[in-house]
Amino acid sequence: MMNLLRAQWLFAATFLLYGLTFLITPERAEKALSSAAITFSSVLLLIIAVFGLVGLLQTWIRREFIVSMLGREGGIKSLMIGVLCGTLLIGPAYIIFPLLMEIQKRGARWAVITIVLTSYTIKLQMIPIEVEFLGWPFALGRALITIALAIPTGLLVEAIMEKKPKL
Amino acid sequence: MISVGLIYLVIIIGCYIFLWPVDKDKVLQSLRLSWQSLFKLLPFLIAIFGLVGLFQEFIPPELIARFLGKSSGLGSLLISAFAGAISIGPPLAAYPLAETLLNAGAWPPAIATFIFSWIAIGIITLPFEATTFGVRFALFRNGISFITAILSGFILGLLL
Repeated sequence: MMNLLRAQWLFAATFLLYGLTFLITPERAEKALSSAAITFSSVLLLIIAVFGLVGLLQTWIRREFIVSMLGREGGIKSLMIGVLCGTLLIGPAYIIFPLLMEIQKRGARWAVITIVLTSYTIKLQMIPIEVEFLGWPFALGRALITIALAIPTGLLVEAIMEKKPKL
Repeated sequence: MISVGLIYLVIIIGCYIFLWPVDKDKVLQSLRLSWQSLFKLLPFLIAIFGLVGLFQEFIPPELIARFLGKSSGLGSLLISAFAGAISIGPPLAAYPLAETLLNAGAWPPAIATFIFSWIAIGIITLPFEATTFGVRFALFRNGISFITAILSGFILGLLL
């Protein structure tokens, strides 16, 4: 029981939080729960796809391939792939955490993982929408600056990750 | 979002079907591994979605965005980065909110920092990030991204 609680502390904490909210203000707790359910159902297919890919990755993709594409051997190419993936992938970023971790375990560098998560703030498909809302100079400037900053951010996080053994 | 998710799912299922005649056992193993990782992380995912729901109800981004105000300068970038870090919501919702802020007189670079930090930094998803990648990565990535968020607004301010 204690072990289960320790492993699932976040679930337990969330459950407790909802319990309290239901006691204090049931209507708003219900609204929060339905908002959670809506978000969850809107990305459910995406989650299944992501985990389906995690399984494929573990059995079909050779480690050397990932190392050569997304590892140190990949050089600048690996960083560019990271930018491209980040700007194209859709859905909340936390859904792809497990996928990114799997890629990292199989040889991708930390810089690539960080770059994907940083360049996530730009969505190529949504630039027209951003232009409509915020105008050309803003949208274009933001996209270029983010891409330019994503790479040094990734390299910095990587340098820190490699300095000491992982926690 | 649902339709794009469906497209991704169809592609992945297509891969499984295509690989089936190549090596049945390997495909079954992939399925098993997929299921194992999903099963392991599902309680965490459900918890995160639950927290997201609570935050959207009680501390919606619209409320947080009010902190942005009309001020400019480094201080306002700092506030925007904080506001973005605790905000959670679909990236698509960021644009109309940003437009509202612009019309209300917010400083454009502060809005850029807000959007950056909204998507790249997640205080609420931090526990999930720490479980998947380790505490060290989660803390440093979010911490450094916080600085990058401010920097991106600062540079945009110089350009605009």
